Amino acid sequence: MSKVNGVLLDITGVLKEGDSPIKNSVEAVERLREKGIKVRFVTNETQETKNSLVSRLSKMGFTLTEEEVISPCPAMAHELRRNGLRPHLLVHPTVLEEFDGVSTENPNCVVIGDCAEHFSYENMNKAFRVLINMSEPLLYSLGKGKYFREDGELVLDVGSYAACLEYATGAKSKIVGKPEPTFFQTALDMMQIKPEEAVMVGDDLVSDVGGAQGCGIKGILVRTGKFRPADERHPEVKPFFIADDLYHAVDHIISLL
Amino acid sequence: MLNRIRAVLIDLSGTLHIDDTAIPGAVEALKRLRSSGIKVRFVTNTTKESSRSLHARLSSLGFEVDRKEMFSSLAAARLLAEERGLRPLLLVDQAAEEEFEGLPAPEQGPPNAVLVGLAPKRFDYQSLNQAFRLVLDGAQLIAINKSRYYQTKDGLSLGAGSFVAAIEFATGKEAEVVGKPARSFFEASLKGLGVAAEEAIMIGDDVKDDVIGAIDAGIQGLLVKTGKYRPGDEKKLAEGVVVAENFPEAVDRILRAKESN
Repeated sequence: MSKVNGVLLDITGVLKEGDSPIKNSVEAVERLREKGIKVRFVTNETQETKNSLVSRLSKMGFTLTEEEVISPCPAMAHELRRNGLRPHLLVHPTVLEEFDGVSTENPNCVVIGDCAEHFSYENMNKAFRVLINMSEPLLYSLGKGKYFREDGELVLDVGSYAACLEYATGAKSKIVGKPEPTFFQTALDMMQIKPEEAVMVGDDLVSDVGGAQGCGIKGILVRTGKFRPADERHPEVKPFFIADDLYHAVDHIISLL
Repeated sequence: MLNRIRAVLIDLSGTLHIDDTAIPGAVEALKRLRSSGIKVRFVTNTTKESSRSLHARLSSLGFEVDRKEMFSSLAAARLLAEERGLRPLLLVDQAAEEEFEGLPAPEQGPPNAVLVGLAPKRFDYQSLNQAFRLVLDGAQLIAINKSRYYQTKDGLSLGAGSFVAAIEFATGKEAEVVGKPARSFFEASLKGLGVAAEEAIMIGDDVKDDVIGAIDAGIQGLLVKTGKYRPGDEKKLAEGVVVAENFPEAVDRILRAKESN
């Protein structure tokens, strides 16, 4: 078994839920840092900018920098610029600034992110009409999550809305975010470590654990956030370890050192 | 086999009328069919209009129709809810709600089913989340139809099926579809007629949902070249399935076969 040199942490449902840190998660991150383990925060958060997310987490007591956070919007904006694509953006108004400088006139693709209450019939229909009028509909989805927990209740995530547009138009969405392998690879490259030296901790069995393990990274599932008992009996995705929460997960990681 | 027909199932939109115009000769053809003693049922996949409103529309176009002769996907959904004792959360257009009057109300207990029709005004974040949570916790997911999109005045718009697909993706459960071409829909529409499936024929303009659906349920099928019919649709049918220019010609074919019997 190779040594653990880097840990990838999901944010929502692992570090915090809503505006509160999950019990002992601030201390858990500190313990990793004290042990000299590199930490990166790999999130599919598309309801707020990286900048605002980092300042919110800092207020909760976490120590982290923007450079340590990998999130879908900046990665998507980069991809759009590189390929000269002009998106119709179905994203939360707060993250529009992450797409500054990207032309949205006469769109030739649709980008869908988590819009929360902005997922109205009207907004979905606008995106649908852009796609249905293209000879080959091109749809990018910022993550492919089914649902997540917010204020104590499960709510539909962007993947479900992408599935709506896929069914209507026959498009197959390209994912930017977890569980897409390049997303995990970016985090590994930043830490300059190999997949077998890394552990991913997340509350989403398929997107976090399954995605990471698909890249050769060990996946730990936590029983917080969107976790449901049925996740422990999933026919395909078998986590490397299941922990009660992040603190417990870190205990296990340290025991492997 | 046309000579053994004792009941005719008739599609509405595209077969008897298009929007607010009757297919030429269809009103008289329906009268001829009735006077031959053949029983009729009007079957439609609407997710929006209640039987009362459909009936009013047909009457205003001159068709002689009894409300008891009408069977829609909404009515099938209601029947299903009654048979299973469901307390459904209704994600349907306001105009369709009256079809479900008298079913157990949500205050009598948490919904144990989610019923989805075409409801642009209801497909919002709150309602979809509520529907999703119920289905995840075990409520049955029932789709009045699974259409991808439909034509509106200002272009194509997302249909009920696309929102059903979102809930299916999130929950990993497959919706049960109650309208045409579900076998149970055709079986329910024949109920009370005292006619065997093979003695009935379905006339419609949708080669898949009307004609092939009926044939799969053991009923005969007849395709009319009006409404949503597109040239080449008949190639999807097995040899021997009758294709007529329009509803009046379909009726005449059935009546001629009956007389020659």
